Amino acid sequence: MGTRILTVEDDERIRTAVKLALEDEGWVVDEASSGEEALQSFNRHASDVVLIDIMLPGIDGFEVCRSIRRTSDVPIIMVTARADTHDVVAGLEAGADDYLTKPFAPKELSARIRALLRRVRSTDPNMPRLVFGELEIAPEEGVVRKNGEELHLTKTEFRLLVELAQNPGRVLSREALLERVWGYGYFGDGRLVDVHVRRLRTKVEGDAANPRHVVTVRGLGYKLQG
Amino acid sequence: MTALARSHSRRAARASRRVGVVHKVHRFRLLRRLSLRARVTLTFALGGLLMSALLAGATLYLTRQNLLQKREAAALDEVFDNAQQASGYLKDDPVNDIDLIVDNLKSPNDFIVHYLNPIRAAQNEWRPSAAGEFDENDVPLKLLSEVNGGESALIRTVDKDTGPVLIIGVPLKEFTGVQYYERIQLDDIQDTLRSLTYILVAAAASTAGIGAFVGTWAARRTVRPLGDVAAAAEAIAGGRLDTRLVPPADRDLASLAASFNEMAGALQERVERDARFASEVSHELRSPLMTLTASVAVLETRMDELPERAQTAVELLSSDLQRFKQLVEDLLEISRFDVGTARLELEDLNLVEFTRQAVSRASAEPVPIIYDPSMESIVILADKRRLARVLYNLVENATKYGDGTTCVELLDLGDSVQIAVEDRGPGVPIEERIVIFDRFSRGGAGGRRGSDSGVGLGLSLVTEHVHLHGGRVWVEDRADGQSGARFIVELPLDPEVGLDRQLERVVGGQP
Repeated sequence: MGTRILTVEDDERIRTAVKLALEDEGWVVDEASSGEEALQSFNRHASDVVLIDIMLPGIDGFEVCRSIRRTSDVPIIMVTARADTHDVVAGLEAGADDYLTKPFAPKELSARIRALLRRVRSTDPNMPRLVFGELEIAPEEGVVRKNGEELHLTKTEFRLLVELAQNPGRVLSREALLERVWGYGYFGDGRLVDVHVRRLRTKVEGDAANPRHVVTVRGLGYKLQG
Repeated sequence: MTALARSHSRRAARASRRVGVVHKVHRFRLLRRLSLRARVTLTFALGGLLMSALLAGATLYLTRQNLLQKREAAALDEVFDNAQQASGYLKDDPVNDIDLIVDNLKSPNDFIVHYLNPIRAAQNEWRPSAAGEFDENDVPLKLLSEVNGGESALIRTVDKDTGPVLIIGVPLKEFTGVQYYERIQLDDIQDTLRSLTYILVAAAASTAGIGAFVGTWAARRTVRPLGDVAAAAEAIAGGRLDTRLVPPADRDLASLAASFNEMAGALQERVERDARFASEVSHELRSPLMTLTASVAVLETRMDELPERAQTAVELLSSDLQRFKQLVEDLLEISRFDVGTARLELEDLNLVEFTRQAVSRASAEPVPIIYDPSMESIVILADKRRLARVLYNLVENATKYGDGTTCVELLDLGDSVQIAVEDRGPGVPIEERIVIFDRFSRGGAGGRRGSDSGVGLGLSLVTEHVHLHGGRVWVEDRADGQSGARFIVELPLDPEVGLDRQLERVVGGQP
């Protein structure tokens, strides 16, 4: 069975056109026209990727995103009509893995979906487990433990942590992380990295305001230390 | 009134208005050529002079009248006394008696006695006093005729030797025609009046001087708020629409400031409403564009199944949809500048690396990037997305109108850098070098417009992005003397510094 994509969009014309285009790209598409419908559909079918428009009547896209995140680490792509700082950052903070601005090309969306799925499935089984103080990263299991207790990371957060862990003490630039984790080139949006690092910190750090492991190196990027 | 007549009368009214205006301009042309400050100063000075001259004139006139009246009264008393005395000497023989008068009468002034000599057949005879300075030739005929008529009379005149004098004639004895004339010198009054005149002229001059001084001071005080208004208006014209005047304590000026602020507020609101409208339209267009984009993509994947004519139509649809999307994006971007919500997302960028990436994304063909090896490590603080857009638009412009980009050159200017994009086109004529950065300007000469032209927002967006970074952009001829344009973007290493300097450039332009 093909990869299932749940498209949440209230504009019927857009929904229909996007569904046609995505099906051409080889995906199986489920549709939802509201937040409520999206949550029902998500619980009914096991979606592999969720595409959420931020502007929805009733429950808005951010809330749908947060609801899904409470129970699932499924890759989520936010669709926004505004690339303004506020919407993008709010969407990423609500738990989205990536975002697209309307009007996007269906090929671009497919590329993003593929990058997200690759991220989910690309853990190398031969990687040794890595220990940073109380943090223990087991790439082959796809698990991170803090003081022996398993942490709930999304696939993107996990992948980000592993990329940093594979280069212990070395600074990785935002561009490098964008490329390795998201598959973006030089002109990817650095805010993706910043917000994901922030989210990662709230999970792995004792005090997210004063991180000890995931450290910002001003003007250069991020590094992971013990 | 017929329509023709109405139009006639209207034309006449217009003509007369025009004449009126011309007339006014003529009348004030000299004054208008002066600055407001000079005009106020001049008005105060002239006003002061006029007032003090009037006062001085009146003072002088009244003083003179007063002095003369008193002097005349005193002189008349004195002369009547003397005449009384003289009459006392007149007994029977006029000739002898007149000798008596001349010999005995004590008077501080010159006098002369007239009589009709009976010995010489009643001929007119004159006997001047001892001093003899005052003779019959000095008695004006007018006075003489009045005294001959039997009346006492006086006359004020100016003697060519002694200056202003008062001559008084009194008839003593009619039958022998004895008349007594006395001449009183008025030069002391003359002296008094002269010194008074000097004092008043000096006073008038200093009043004019003080007037000019007060005028200058008042004008400066009056003009100072105007200077503030001018600076504020300039700031608004320069795009800082939230500029307002601080309301001064003075009531007149406060109402000016209030009106100005009201106008600025209305202007700001209007500009923002227009810009918001553009922003909302752009957003609203995104939904249909999304449907179009996805639908065209569906068509494009089935291109092979379509008849040839439909294929051509889909290709047209696809490329114009691309243009349409770009236009909406550009409009949205430009409306952000207009509303003032454009903000820099600053990050450290390695100039050489950034330029290489941005140029390779913008150009299908490889473009050489020329720089000194010492520039490898230069890092600038900039908004990556905006700066990439700047380079993209410049390279795109070179491709469309300049027959392709020949090179991109980087220059290190110490606290700023230059990025120059050169092409091999016809170059930009001098008269178009400013206007091509205007919105929807595509350069004149029509020929520059290709079938696949942009919408003319590219270079104006370049300007906006570069200005936001505190930098500037301009175009000149290619550095190597060959045909082609060289677009130069100059950016400060730190936008803060550049924006400060930009402000200095604006403020520095004013006195």
